[in-house]
Amino acid sequence: MTLTGLFRHLFSYRMRALVKKEFNQIRRDRRLQISLVLPPILQLTLFGFALSSNVSDLRLAVVDDNRTPESRELISTLTESKSFRLAGYYASVDQLGDAVSRGDADAGLVVPYDYARDLARQRPTTVQLLLNATNANTATISRAYAQGVLQSYNVNLRQNGIHLQVQPTVAPNLARRGQIQLQPAFLFNPGLVDSWFIVTGVLGLLLILNSTMVASASMVREREAGTIEQLLMSPASTTEIIVAKIAPLFFLLSLMMLAAIAVLRLVFSVPFRGSLLLLICAGCLCILSGISIGTVIATFSRSAQQAQLTSFFLNPPLASLSGALNPIEAMPKWLQPLTVLNPVHHFAAIVRGTMLKGGGFADVWPNFLGLFLFTLVLVSLSVRRFRKQLS
Amino acid sequence: MAEGHTQVIAATPVREVDRDAAEGLAATPAIDARDLTKRYGKVEAVRGIKLEVRPREIFGLIGPDGAGKTSTFQILAGVMEATSGVANIFGSPAREMRSQTGYLTQSFSLYPDLTVAENIRYCGDLRRISPQQIVARGQQYLRMFDMDRFADRLAGKLSGGMRQKLSLICALVPQPRILLLDEPTTGVDPVSRREFWDALAHLSADGLTILVATPYLDEAERCHRIAFMHQGQILQIGSSTELCASLNAKRIELRTPDLRKTESILASHSGPDDDILDVQRFGDRLDLLVRDPDQAQQQVTEELTRAGVSIEEMHVDQPTLENTFVARLRALGQDLHSSEFPSRHNHSSLRGQIAIDAKSLLKDFDGFTAVKNVSLQIRNGEVYGLLGANGAGKTTTIRMLCGLLEPTGGSMELAGATGNLRSEAVRKRIGYMSQKFSLYDDLSIRQNLDFFAGVYGVPDAEREEKIRWVLSFSGLEGKQDQLTGSLPGGWKQRVAFGAAILHEPDILFLDEPTSGVDPLARRAFWTMINRLADTGAAILVTTHYLEEAEQCNRLGMMVAGELVAEGTPSGIKSRQTGHLLQLIVDQPQRAVDLLKHTTEGWRVSLFGERLHLITEDAPEIAIQQTTQQLEAAGLRVFSAREDRFSLEDVFISIVEKARLEGKVSLEK
Repeated sequence: MTLTGLFRHLFSYRMRALVKKEFNQIRRDRRLQISLVLPPILQLTLFGFALSSNVSDLRLAVVDDNRTPESRELISTLTESKSFRLAGYYASVDQLGDAVSRGDADAGLVVPYDYARDLARQRPTTVQLLLNATNANTATISRAYAQGVLQSYNVNLRQNGIHLQVQPTVAPNLARRGQIQLQPAFLFNPGLVDSWFIVTGVLGLLLILNSTMVASASMVREREAGTIEQLLMSPASTTEIIVAKIAPLFFLLSLMMLAAIAVLRLVFSVPFRGSLLLLICAGCLCILSGISIGTVIATFSRSAQQAQLTSFFLNPPLASLSGALNPIEAMPKWLQPLTVLNPVHHFAAIVRGTMLKGGGFADVWPNFLGLFLFTLVLVSLSVRRFRKQLS
Repeated sequence: MAEGHTQVIAATPVREVDRDAAEGLAATPAIDARDLTKRYGKVEAVRGIKLEVRPREIFGLIGPDGAGKTSTFQILAGVMEATSGVANIFGSPAREMRSQTGYLTQSFSLYPDLTVAENIRYCGDLRRISPQQIVARGQQYLRMFDMDRFADRLAGKLSGGMRQKLSLICALVPQPRILLLDEPTTGVDPVSRREFWDALAHLSADGLTILVATPYLDEAERCHRIAFMHQGQILQIGSSTELCASLNAKRIELRTPDLRKTESILASHSGPDDDILDVQRFGDRLDLLVRDPDQAQQQVTEELTRAGVSIEEMHVDQPTLENTFVARLRALGQDLHSSEFPSRHNHSSLRGQIAIDAKSLLKDFDGFTAVKNVSLQIRNGEVYGLLGANGAGKTTTIRMLCGLLEPTGGSMELAGATGNLRSEAVRKRIGYMSQKFSLYDDLSIRQNLDFFAGVYGVPDAEREEKIRWVLSFSGLEGKQDQLTGSLPGGWKQRVAFGAAILHEPDILFLDEPTSGVDPLARRAFWTMINRLADTGAAILVTTHYLEEAEQCNRLGMMVAGELVAEGTPSGIKSRQTGHLLQLIVDQPQRAVDLLKHTTEGWRVSLFGERLHLITEDAPEIAIQQTTQQLEAAGLRVFSAREDRFSLEDVFISIVEKARLEGKVSLEK
């Protein structure tokens, strides 16, 4: 079909009638409307706040072999922070180890007997932090907290020319007291606001899942109601029917995307360092691939309920294999390549690349290409399936 | 039917009462409704009706859409409180007698993903019937309805007729004393419908009281008594013979070579004050309702001779219940006055051309042959009726004829196209009304019509006028913004029909267009269909109602995927071998049971008090033999005579004979 032919097609009276009908149906469909307005606000906010990995009120057991005002100051600095509270004093490291392994405490702090003396002599001194790594995530985070607290404590001390170091030891490995010192530098998210990581990932999930759901529901509806036959007997071609079905959804989902980006910016103050246009283009591709997934699901389903259940089945792998909520690096090696097949992964990479890093097309093009190819494959697959189902 | 028989029939109810008196039931009517009123806000659905149904009676409730039938049912079933008045079941308020009533609603209320047996079990459990009894009764009824083979089938996979029978079984398992059936046979094919009514006759003979509403008057004739309801009131109660006699008119069947012309000549001389009360056109005849048959025949002959129209046949008969119903409603000023269809295109030049030409169509679905060797030709200007039981391959055939389905074998020509039947140019010329679901429930009436006008490219200049016509045709003026889904079935069909012809197609496919539509609206449908055919459109219609099929110019009957009979309605009837006997006996159900032992079951059927027997013998011999047989068993035969075949009788014979020849795929 030539381009002008296509345009004549798109603006024909039939197309107008078809699109108008879809909009009229959407206008009557309260549930669909709500699912287009509520998710960007509710899901983003909920995920952003609830999924955040901030940890507070960890129970800190303490062995203070030093018992000086300086050691007590260190302990109170730690326990007065939001992250730790004092669980009790223990006489020996062994007892403390037991307390941690029994679960009476989440973390332990050992202050050596020469702590105050070293400080007074302006020598670097070392305190030991024991962490219950049963919950590895919490352990990592508490270590980071402790480091953070001590770092700022150090700043105070450094004014006096003193330097304090923390030596983390993970509880099950009490015997192997490592001497490695971490000096992490958090780039692009200096405050380590982890909601930025979460919400930028959730944005992609939100687009894909909602597009899938809305598209499958609206595609299957015509079949469920039995009106598809009537539509097929009309002079409208299958292309016209498909385009007319997708266009209004695409339009509304794009509006939803803009609303979601606004929430990102306004509620979570995610910075906007890169190109907005690039982001929106990626978002549109993401919506299209979501719509295609929904259409494919719809062609395999006899009822709206079935379609809904199938998309529920699809959600978890899409979410967990995307790197949107959890780092890909944390997955087993053999699972990691699968993320390449996930549009959410590419979109999340693009969002983070542009919003947080300020990268341009040159930086994210591999992901862009991935997303584009994925969308292309899905769209053509869904159009084929839909056509086959129609004939 | 001769006058003499009416006397005999009038006498029979007395005998019924005698029998009931012996059982001590005569004092309490099964259903007793007095001054029954139901108001919904300002709308008065039921306006003070009085109704007395005797025990063991099959009592029919007929009336146009919105007459208040369903409200009456809901009150009697005890699921809805009346605004005022008495609704008693065996002397106690309906609400307290719910355990004694079985109620079948219009919609299918079974669980499609449970099997037949599980559905029965569930319904029994709800009513706290013991498991042993559920199984025993379930099996008894499954056998009675010839469904015991399907006990393990999912209810969702049953055909319409079997679903209704299953609903009936579920209602029967708690052994109610009264059955309330609200349009139980909508969408059920003629064969299943007859079986369904045979089962009802059987149940009523066993002591069950049945109140049934139906929009189909050939069915209503099978009731002992009928109440005619209109706008919330009961206008008349009586047996079908009494109701027909009350019209004080005769029916003349008239056949001429040019029905269109004859109709317009006679219509101008008919009216409530004329000798000819009413003129109705059927496929190959006109039905005139006249006061004095001799005078009318003379008048018709004069008028037609003057206009140069020859008369092929003129035949005086009793009016049917449908004639009576329509005449009553028209007398009440209820005729549908729709404006003239704003026709902009005339297909007259196409008249006589072959619009649909199918040669040896074949359709295989994974080894199952749904349609085999079907050839048919439909010309422009012709109304062709395709009839068949459920599963006969009717729908598959239509889908192939209109290009939705690719045939496995054979060739198709549609609107002159042979290759691509699904091209835009072909589809623009086709109007299609699919079974039941052709409108968007979630759009308003207006939006639906706008959509169909738009998608078929009806020019803007004509659009407004045509949409106004549809609204007037469906009697929905001023309600165009109402949600389509909230319309009752009959009205939805009217809008759907209007939507299908907005673009003035020259080929029209109508798949069960009148299902659930009341007789008056049905008549408006057929007037319109005839008018479209007159302007040159080729029309293919399917229906389960044989009375309606008489409206077609030609008929094709399908059995097990094959076209087994084709011709004009009279042609098919005249080709029918055998004779129809009508007997009136003192214990009709016993007579039916007796006769079913000696002849094939389908040949015997009970219509109220009248027993129909189809025989291949000469009528005199058959009458003699049957009378002897019945009297030997101690029954009294009041009258026996030969009657004319109805199209339904013919259809059932054809299906059953084909079934005997081994063409069994009525239920796949």
